[in-house]
Amino acid sequence: MSSDVIMVIVVATALAFDFTNGFHDTANVVATSISTGAARPGVAIGIASMLNFLGAFISISVAATVANDVVNSEVITPTVVFAGLIGAISWNLITWSFGLPSSSSHALIGGVVGSAVAAAGFNAVLADGLVGKVLIPAVVAPILAFLTAGLAIGLIYRVVGRQRPGTVTRGFRYGQIISGGLLALAHGTNDAQKTMGIITLALVANGSLAANADPPVWVIASAATAIALGTYSGGWRIIRTTGTRIIKMDAAQGFSAQGAGAAVILASTHFGFPLSTTHVINGGVMGSGAAKRLSAVRWGVAGSIAMAWLLTLPAAAAIGAAAYGLTAIFGSGALGPVLVTLMGLSLIVAVFSRRLQRGSPVPAS
Amino acid sequence: MAVVVETKQLLETVAASLVAGVGMTFVFSIAIWGMARFAELSRNDRPLAAGASVTVAVLALLGTLAGVAFGIVVMTNK
Repeated sequence: MSSDVIMVIVVATALAFDFTNGFHDTANVVATSISTGAARPGVAIGIASMLNFLGAFISISVAATVANDVVNSEVITPTVVFAGLIGAISWNLITWSFGLPSSSSHALIGGVVGSAVAAAGFNAVLADGLVGKVLIPAVVAPILAFLTAGLAIGLIYRVVGRQRPGTVTRGFRYGQIISGGLLALAHGTNDAQKTMGIITLALVANGSLAANADPPVWVIASAATAIALGTYSGGWRIIRTTGTRIIKMDAAQGFSAQGAGAAVILASTHFGFPLSTTHVINGGVMGSGAAKRLSAVRWGVAGSIAMAWLLTLPAAAAIGAAAYGLTAIFGSGALGPVLVTLMGLSLIVAVFSRRLQRGSPVPAS
Repeated sequence: MAVVVETKQLLETVAASLVAGVGMTFVFSIAIWGMARFAELSRNDRPLAAGASVTVAVLALLGTLAGVAFGIVVMTNK
């Protein structure tokens, strides 16, 4: 009975994480389209939401590998997963409240690493996996997208630089609908699977599912729905940062940032080198701005974003470890997760009610 | 480093990203160029040159759509 209650809490928490992933990472997909006027905010978010939903159904091949590569699977219990999710959700909400686009995947990995360390010590961490699958890709992703977008926008300006601005702007706005759609689909394929993976991991740890089993259909459908609803709710604060605060972009820059982002994500998917969509698209935005003029990038904002990226793993890990410690005080039953969930919900309600009053949609330029 | 990260995968990702990202934006910008030239040449009453421009634009647009289709295939086959 107690383990069933814990499982229900873990699944609900995982779906809550998926929801925060959707609204937190919406900015990656729609910010440039909205800020260049390629699509109205409601339309852009609606399309991104649908494509995220579809993307979740496209493939389930990476669903079970989320935490297995960085944490020893023998220490994974539903409570460890629960505490890791609390770490990830908390960090997503903190960065959202500051309008900073940080990686939800890194928050999830950090949270699970922290709770696993709190449960079983540092031996629980697979250092090679952490460096190879998380840290090196975190450095490569923004640099690669920066270079790709920078080269792309340089070429675009050479090709269309002497043409009438009206036709060129209209053309790239249409192009942004395609490149933004591809990004949304890629995001749904990558990120909804992480939630499926984490729920599947908990089901296996609880003995409710055979090891190496594919995620059940209800897991896939609920993860797809949660990320789509999160996307539809729109993370306006981060959309404003990515779309207007890093650079003031034109339609060609928006297209090159999205096009470069989609190309980098798809190439990394194809060759099995995992990259964060957040790092990629923000690197692309900075690259498309810097190629036009270095001073076009607001480096102070870029620095704040980079700082949030650096802090994501340790901060989510610290919160995950604290959540596990707090849960463990109440024993191995359901009481700990129930109390931590209630405390978390109270904090979320307090933060949301204060912050939502301040957030407002970004007007199309 | 090679033990921790697959160097071959990393290099392939870098090369493919640069080629696909820069290549696709270049092809699409050719399509935009073609359309812009078509509009201008049509206004100047030069139908032959306008026809050639729109042909280039359509071919480039088809190339872009083929790239998008390839991207979707990559996603579905991972």
